[in-house]
Amino acid sequence: MKETYTMGKTVLHAQNVRKSYGTRGNVQQVLKGIDLRVNKGEFVGIMGPSGAGKTTLLNVLATIDRASAGAILIDGDDISKMKDAKLSAFRRDKLGFIFQDYNLLDTLTVKENILLPISLGKVKKKEAEQRFTEIATILGIEEIAHKYPHEISGGQKQRTSAARALINEPSMVFADEPTGALDSKSASSLLNTMEDVNKQRGVTIMMVTHDAVASSYCSRVVFLKDGTIYSELYRGDKTRQAFFQDILKVQGVLGGDNVDAL
Amino acid sequence: MLTLFDLVIRSMRKNIKHYYLYFFALIFSVVLYFVFATLQYDSAVVEGAGQSMRFAAAFKVAGILLIIIAGVFIIYANAIFLKRRSREIGLYQLIGLNKGAVARLLIIENTILSAGALVIGIAIGMLVSRVFLLLLMKLVGHDGFIALSFSTAAVIQTAVVFVAIILLTSVQMLYTVYRNTLLGLFNAEKKGEHPKKPRTAISSILALLGVGLIGFGYWLSGNMLNDLIFFNMLAVLASTILGTYLVFRVTISWLLYQIRTRKQGHLGLNNSLSIASLMHRMKGNANSLTIITVLSAMTLAMLGGSYSLYYSTEKETRYVMPFDFMFEEESSIWFDRYDLSVQDFEKGLKENGIDYTTETIELLDVGGTYEKGVFPAFLGQMEGLYNASIVNAEQLQKAGLQMETPKNGTLIFHSASLGTVAKDTKIPFKIYVASGDKERVFTAVKFGEGDVVNASFGPQLVVNDADFTEYKRMMHPENEVRNVQVFTITNKDQLALASEIRHKNKDEETWSYGFDYYSMYESSIQSNGLLIFIAGFLGLVFLISTGSILYFKQMTEAEQEKQSYATLRQLGFTVKDIMRGIMRKQVFVFGLPLMIGLLHSIFAIKAASFLFMSDITIPASIAMGVYGLIYLMFAVLTVGYYRKTVKAAL
Repeated sequence: MKETYTMGKTVLHAQNVRKSYGTRGNVQQVLKGIDLRVNKGEFVGIMGPSGAGKTTLLNVLATIDRASAGAILIDGDDISKMKDAKLSAFRRDKLGFIFQDYNLLDTLTVKENILLPISLGKVKKKEAEQRFTEIATILGIEEIAHKYPHEISGGQKQRTSAARALINEPSMVFADEPTGALDSKSASSLLNTMEDVNKQRGVTIMMVTHDAVASSYCSRVVFLKDGTIYSELYRGDKTRQAFFQDILKVQGVLGGDNVDAL
Repeated sequence: MLTLFDLVIRSMRKNIKHYYLYFFALIFSVVLYFVFATLQYDSAVVEGAGQSMRFAAAFKVAGILLIIIAGVFIIYANAIFLKRRSREIGLYQLIGLNKGAVARLLIIENTILSAGALVIGIAIGMLVSRVFLLLLMKLVGHDGFIALSFSTAAVIQTAVVFVAIILLTSVQMLYTVYRNTLLGLFNAEKKGEHPKKPRTAISSILALLGVGLIGFGYWLSGNMLNDLIFFNMLAVLASTILGTYLVFRVTISWLLYQIRTRKQGHLGLNNSLSIASLMHRMKGNANSLTIITVLSAMTLAMLGGSYSLYYSTEKETRYVMPFDFMFEEESSIWFDRYDLSVQDFEKGLKENGIDYTTETIELLDVGGTYEKGVFPAFLGQMEGLYNASIVNAEQLQKAGLQMETPKNGTLIFHSASLGTVAKDTKIPFKIYVASGDKERVFTAVKFGEGDVVNASFGPQLVVNDADFTEYKRMMHPENEVRNVQVFTITNKDQLALASEIRHKNKDEETWSYGFDYYSMYESSIQSNGLLIFIAGFLGLVFLISTGSILYFKQMTEAEQEKQSYATLRQLGFTVKDIMRGIMRKQVFVFGLPLMIGLLHSIFAIKAASFLFMSDITIPASIAMGVYGLIYLMFAVLTVGYYRKTVKAAL
């Protein structure tokens, strides 16, 4: 498939991605042809009412789930054609994940959790140590490096999860409702950090959220409705406050389920 | 309207995944117990037992052991099963069922399940008991047609035992429902400990102590043949068991902790899935791993020992009965009154066309003393030489025994009964043989294998022809010269027939002693066959129980760690990567109890090897190998279950 890069800066390119569930006779189409291009260094938010297909889109783009039709290119590689083993390797090398419920391994300490993605030997110990120190400093979790997940707070867990997502220096980080289980203070602190990481380190982030506050940290917000892209908002030079108001307006038109948040 | 019974049926249908584990445990126990009970009541077995009460007694003891094993196993399986369902039990209470109703629900379920298992188990038991009966009969050397009759008594006995066990499990269920809080029920499945930093000083002392205790136990087991032998045996047991517990409870966690600390957070995937996961549950697992290890060791020792006995029956019998038949001339011993004469025996052999060779051997009855301190102290002050006979090597060679001729003044010392302890006795040593006023000194230069004449009461001193003739000439007239006539049957297939001829005067009242290899072999193989059967049966039950418990435990762990596998796969690890770590964990979970158990049993068998006259390395290794193989099958099953879980995780 021919692909035209915008100055070589496209990280992710989804073309007419479809996803349907169910067996014959009872097929439910969740994604009905999504076209989406994400450039390097973008911080894209995906919003939309419940059932719009946000998480399905994220899973499909993040190679956790397979699309029923369409092509998805990440860094020029078409992931919809990859075999499972190659996909796994791809995820390990190129992608990072942050989940709503952290998904840390209870049996491992914070540091062990963070180093897990680069544990299959390609990165030398010295370099791994260096990367860990750097990321732990940015995320402010050096102090708790040797604690177990049950000993730290939700915010700290999510920072650990974020650090784990960044340790392999991914082309792209996928975040699924990362602030969903956090109190507002921890949430804004995490979002600030994500914004910093995005701006200073140029990490491309795609974040699914239903929270307008969270998405106001993004540089662009894509609205889904019934499995298609309904509209897109660019932040441009607007302040976060102003961007937030814009997002609320679209949400109001969309009839979203979360207009109450401020 | 949904009645409680409807609810039971629905929940059972929905929970079939959880049930089958418990259900199989139940069926399995019923089958084995029923088989055992059937054999116990079977007429062929009872008749086969013949005069001896050994069969009945051995079966009774084994039966009790079997009940204990089955009971513990079922209660354990039920506990795991209840833990897996605790959320459901909590849910019933949450939606408003009172505790009584929930308890009733569980007990109805349990009754249906157990009744089903009992019926299915007895049915399967009927099918397989024939196989076991044939095996038993083959082992005790009984051939011919065997009819297995259906035994009502066995059915009743099985039913009674299992109703009792089911009552126990019901109590266990009541306890779970009444003694747990809702919150506890909801969190029961998640419960795992969090690894704590061990207090280094105490831990390292205890860790070393564990290894030290086991080492001490091993050392003592090799050096316990002295006056305090009984006390020593207890000390060996106590020290080894306590050591094993410490190893599982402290040493392993301590070692794992050291390894983990050294990694400084760079744990890697394999270690994350093995070391970290093991450390997370070591405390809870220590008890069960200790029990499994100790019991495995006992089973292995029992199996190794009894198989060795069975395996070396022929050799050990030959040690005491080197010749096929033996007659003593002019014997005045009372039990020979009814006995067959040599002439009648030879006539019988000829009539039946049995080829044989015969020789007469002279035994010079002597007494005397040994050199001081030759034999170990626990045998008492063994300085006197009693019931000894001086035998001529040449006569023995002529009669067909393979042996060397000792030099002048030396002798080869034969004693089957002393032979096992004498293995470590220093050689050469002096023997002072009395002869009236004089004393003759011989040097024992070698321990010969077994005895050189049948059913000898004391040691035989084999000397060369010159020494023999000289000693005989100068021997005090009080000392007796016994002439024994030994027979060797050319074709060993005719031994059974020859033995029948030999004992044809034998009836219930009189029992001919007969210095006869074959009848001794037959009775040994019978009791050793019974022993290996019972040991094997119990061993199998035990092996399957412990294997299943480990398997059940790992199944639960796999369920608990499902989320971790999902996360790992999302992070980009393949099923293969993850399985590598899990297999490493299984090497610990299954390998450690097996290895430590094997080691224990090796030392136990070594310590008990003085009971055997022959070398038992081969039979003991075979028994252990078979045990290990069956045990490994459970590890394979477990890995298979993990693979399924990991694959389904994403």
